[in-house]
Amino acid sequence: MDFRPLNELERRHLITALRGNADGNRVLLMDHKDTSFAGSAEEVPDEEVINAIKSVPCHY
Amino acid sequence: MGLLDTESGKRRLLSVDLPVIEKYNEGRDLEFRIRIQKVGSTLVLCYNLKPGHNVYSIETRLLSSYPTVPPETRIQTLLKHCPHLLEGQTLCLWRQGSTRTSNRWDPAKFTCIFAVQAAWRWLACYEIWHDTGEWPLPEAK
Repeated sequence: MDFRPLNELERRHLITALRGNADGNRVLLMDHKDTSFAGSAEEVPDEEVINAIKSVPCHY
Repeated sequence: MGLLDTESGKRRLLSVDLPVIEKYNEGRDLEFRIRIQKVGSTLVLCYNLKPGHNVYSIETRLLSSYPTVPPETRIQTLLKHCPHLLEGQTLCLWRQGSTRTSNRWDPAKFTCIFAVQAAWRWLACYEIWHDTGEWPLPEAK
């Protein structure tokens, strides 16, 4: 794969969202068409539940 | 419980997992929809995820013992060797091989889409690790 990195701003935004998600206070949002990162939120509208990643109890 | 050869397994599929897959696929670009294949007694979900700018091809296997045993997710796209990646590019997600009480997969609460979302989060971490050399999340206690 020809890896295309995130730019600095995108990376910082994603790290903040991931850490907020791991702390249990933010939900990660996936774009409903292509699964790209669509930001994070405290609350999720019902119709977006399938695209919202709550705190995933993974062991990393 | 056999996922495909017992009444309880089929009921679980028809009432829980297949409806959430349909919901996940609704309105999604074709390339990113989940496709289902039957391989022996295993159901394989094939899909793509793009947490950043890169598209990853993924397989999540629902074994015959699913949902008691958690789904297994492998990345088909070649990755650099990194933390939390097991042999065969299987994602280390649920403490495979751990006891039932310490396993983070809960069959009563989670569906196969939860495994897709866990893979998305893992890949988002991978994209950051690829650039910085640091996994952005601490190991859970």
